[in-house]
Amino acid sequence: MSQRDVQQAQHEREDIVLQMNEVSKVIKGKAIVDKLSFQIRKGEIVGLLGPNGAGKTTTIRMMTGLIRMSEGDIEVQGHSIKKNFKSAIAHIGAIIENPEFYPYMTGLDNLRQYERMTDDVDDDRIDEVVQLVGLQEAMNKKVRSYSLGMRQRLGIAQALLQRPKLLILDEPTNGLDPAGIREMRDYMRTIAEVEGISILISSHMLSEVEQICHRAVVIQNGKLVTVTELGAENSVSEEVTLTFRVDAIEPAIAIAHGTEGIQVVRTDFIRDQLTVTMNNKNVPELVGALGAAGVGLYRIEENRQSLEEDFLKWTGGNRIA
Amino acid sequence: MHNLKRLVVNEWLKLFKKRSFFVPYALLIGMSFIVGYVIHSFAAGMFGSVYDFTVTMSYIQGLGQVVTIMAIIGSSGIVAKEYSQGTIKFLLIRARSRTSILASKYITALIYGLSLTLATAVALFISGSIWFGFSGAEGRWVDVLGSLGYSYVYTVVYITLAFMIGILTTSGGATIGITMLMLMLDKTIIQKEFYKYMLFPNLDLSVYTDGGAPLPGMTLSFSIVMLAVYVLLFLLAGFVVFRRRDVA
Ligand SMILES: Nc1ncnc2c1ncn2[C@@H]1O[C@H](COP(=O)(O)OP(=O)(O)O)[C@@H](O)[C@H]1O
Ligand SMILES: [Mg+2]
Repeated sequence: MSQRDVQQAQHEREDIVLQMNEVSKVIKGKAIVDKLSFQIRKGEIVGLLGPNGAGKTTTIRMMTGLIRMSEGDIEVQGHSIKKNFKSAIAHIGAIIENPEFYPYMTGLDNLRQYERMTDDVDDDRIDEVVQLVGLQEAMNKKVRSYSLGMRQRLGIAQALLQRPKLLILDEPTNGLDPAGIREMRDYMRTIAEVEGISILISSHMLSEVEQICHRAVVIQNGKLVTVTELGAENSVSEEVTLTFRVDAIEPAIAIAHGTEGIQVVRTDFIRDQLTVTMNNKNVPELVGALGAAGVGLYRIEENRQSLEEDFLKWTGGNRIA
Repeated sequence: MHNLKRLVVNEWLKLFKKRSFFVPYALLIGMSFIVGYVIHSFAAGMFGSVYDFTVTMSYIQGLGQVVTIMAIIGSSGIVAKEYSQGTIKFLLIRARSRTSILASKYITALIYGLSLTLATAVALFISGSIWFGFSGAEGRWVDVLGSLGYSYVYTVVYITLAFMIGILTTSGGATIGITMLMLMLDKTIIQKEFYKYMLFPNLDLSVYTDGGAPLPGMTLSFSIVMLAVYVLLFLLAGFVVFRRRDVA
């Protein structure tokens, strides 16, 4: 390995905030999480996506040391959750399922609890995170009187207090109304920007993950289904599926069949439509060939399989709540 | 050490910030005065001085056991409530070991028991000085401290027992129920050799002061060793389970 490769590898390792290595959780002989591996890089917002019961909360509980791993290990900033819990967890802030506080204490008293459990956090930091989630007015009210949305925000404040490298949120919009969901999304964007940290958001709703995450880790029955980049729709992929509407369908089919690298997927004689898959760079060539043969073109449409369809396919469709 | 102290402050505040925090103190202080008044009114010759009164009333057979009951009720939720409220999740995802978190809870429960014991002692002393006066007062402080010591040992054993049950059951109600049941049964003595190795006959160390023993062959040091063994066993069970348990 050259000096440069070594540096490169070093650099990549430093860039990884959380690494899951073949993590399993077996309860009563059943693998609730099954050999799960994925990573979260610096500054990335990752969605942990899967239908209800897929094992998202179980995975997050293992990341935060609330439950033991049956197999595998998780590293946070290079520290093993199993062997060096305190160093590893120091880089994580999390809300697991509902944020639960001491209801008879004020928001401030609750935050002070976690301040006293953390090194190097002072009242200024409390002010900072409270401002970030916009709870200044509610700090001296008892948590008992908080709405769910306020408790979520206090939960985020609690998680950010120790300046974590990774923020983990388990179904953060569960139970919130549309306005609350929108607000939550804004907070997450702000946090990623202001605090410059990685965020892991678990969700059973694709639309939610799609709107905010850079990447989605899709799991089903505790197993990894796929890891997919999001926001990639705008990039041009190699293979495209196009539907042509023409004035004469037969010569169009003949031309398509006669051109190398084009598969005819569907023909519709009633609407004079022809659907083909082909390499993106050959599209001008086909259009030219049609023009040269005197075939009139009314429109060309791209058939894009949406992420929604993919997600339904990955997770077996009907099981999604 | 600094970290542990901060954890203890946290646990104390969790008790202190409850609106019901002062209720057991008020009850015990109220009882101290009422008992003094009642005895003064109906059996004025019973105690020669404030020291007599304070020593006797501090015993387990006096208000000592009431202090223990209050301590059990007050500290029963110290572990169990974290589970039932769900606050255990935010508690355990910090850069602090489960051992030190649990230790801070145990220390806080002991401090709570001690504060109830001392508050009651002070109230008894004031009540006694009002109704029975200071005649024949020389050298009796030792007796007062002894009496408080015996009661506090009894309270500590029960706090430890309740602490373990709270961890095992994660239910405040079950903790109070089981511990109180044992507290009610602990005066029964079975006249069998093996019974001296049980917890109950060893609980009240004051029985040895006038040369007696609950069962033949029992001594003060024997009981102290037995209590220490039981307390360590309860703590061992509690800490092992708390450290290993999945929080789901
Ligand atoms: N302590 C447990 N004992 C047995 N089964 C469990 C336990 N915790 C979770 N499960 C099961 O594991 C599966 C995954 O649960 P969970 O991680 O909560 O899913 P998700 O958060 O993705 O909805 C579910 O089928 C659930 O019933
Ligand atoms: Mg879940």
